[in-house]
Amino acid sequence: MALLEVKNLEKNFGETKVLRDINFTLEKGQTLAIIGSSGSGKTTLLRCLNLLETPDSGSIHVEDEVIFDPSLPAVTSAEAIRRKRLHFGLVFQNFNLFPQYTALQNVELARRLLAEERPDFKQNKKAIYAEIRENAEKLLTQVGLQNRMDRYPHQLSGGQQQRVAIARALALRPDILCFDEPTSALDPELTGEVLKVIRGLAEEKMTMVIVTHEMEFARAVADQVLFMDEGIVAEAGTPEEVFGNPKNPRTKQFLDKYKEM
Amino acid sequence: MSFWTVTTILADGFINTGKLFFLTLLGALPLGLLVCLASMSKWSPLAKLADSTSSKAMQWIAGFRPISAVMKFIVWIVRGSPLMIQILIVYYGPGLLFGLPLLPRFTAALLTFIINYACYFSEIYRGGIQSIPKGQYEAGEVLGMTSRQIFFKVTLLQLIKRIVPPMGNEFITLVKDTALVRVIAVYELIWMGESFIKKGMMWPLFYCAVFYLAATAILTFALDRFEKKLSYFN
Repeated sequence: MALLEVKNLEKNFGETKVLRDINFTLEKGQTLAIIGSSGSGKTTLLRCLNLLETPDSGSIHVEDEVIFDPSLPAVTSAEAIRRKRLHFGLVFQNFNLFPQYTALQNVELARRLLAEERPDFKQNKKAIYAEIRENAEKLLTQVGLQNRMDRYPHQLSGGQQQRVAIARALALRPDILCFDEPTSALDPELTGEVLKVIRGLAEEKMTMVIVTHEMEFARAVADQVLFMDEGIVAEAGTPEEVFGNPKNPRTKQFLDKYKEM
Repeated sequence: MSFWTVTTILADGFINTGKLFFLTLLGALPLGLLVCLASMSKWSPLAKLADSTSSKAMQWIAGFRPISAVMKFIVWIVRGSPLMIQILIVYYGPGLLFGLPLLPRFTAALLTFIINYACYFSEIYRGGIQSIPKGQYEAGEVLGMTSRQIFFKVTLLQLIKRIVPPMGNEFITLVKDTALVRVIAVYELIWMGESFIKKGMMWPLFYCAVFYLAATAILTFALDRFEKKLSYFN
């Protein structure tokens, strides 16, 4: 059974139909790349998965759990949404690190707050915080920032900030990690270091959904590719199928534009 | 009358000025936050009308936010009219209009200052809240934080950092605005300074300025230190 299942997802902003009848599944350990031009609905789809937007209809399931289904009113309570969000991690285009915290504190914060809800928090506070610290240090080392843990975000380059943001998202051990154009706000010479980290995660079989404009990267890393156009999935398949032998003329047109660049 | 005697008399008035200053802040800082939240209220009881109609006028009525509108009107009145007149209205108004007994002078002055400054502070709070990027809230949300946690652990300190400079300006203006309560004869620094004129002495009134300067110097220094404390992040 697929880890993530999205069925008939629709989203409108007023009169504009941003997402129309989106369907896909994602197996555990696989990487899905979503490509398409600006305004095609890629980011909105990602935001729906993370419940930053409420879909108008359709459903989202992670394993057996309903993440979104309009027929289930219970899902709409703030507390339920908060719980369901934890299945997903999200790395933003603009990093959105918390400026008043160091890299290490950024990675630790959410885990520390969640730990307060544990029944054994009061007795084991020290041990719990120590474990969170150890984990955060391990994650920052994994993204190559072992020497920058005590820096504040403004003291880091864009690429370093984005790597902290990846470590921060990983700290909560999400089932599925989403990336919203993770390198679009970066200078070209800084994109490589971020893509390398994401590639590493793919090799470790992290389940990921990546919205990206880096076509070569998508082709190399993804197990599955969705091409979105005007709110619909215009083409879906393996990278070889979508990039090597696109069937939809819109896909061809889109990919040709990238080849010219 | 010796310089020293004048100084002690003025200092006595200055204590009242200081009292007005601190009590105003104590009342206006929290009240301003309430005014700010009310003026940002999105409550629109007629929102349902929007679904059933497409006429422009009905759409406008459906989008009407009564709490926000009332609050913005009050803030406009308070910020748009002279503080001196507001002091007179609060002190004499209830008696003239309804035959109520006068409030104690200091109480009336303090009440006016709290309302007036709360309105100014509310706009500073609003600017601060609106200047925090939406991404900060969203980052907190996707990390499973509650809205309380996002406010206290993520946005509050950023908000404080942003409002300290404009708040500092208001604090310094407030020090000198206290002189206006002279119009209802509250015994503060300026009133004391003026009382020497009857005795043929002009200089004590000018000497008052030194007290205000000293107070604003201390305030400026304290605010600078606080700003520096928060300069470790952007």
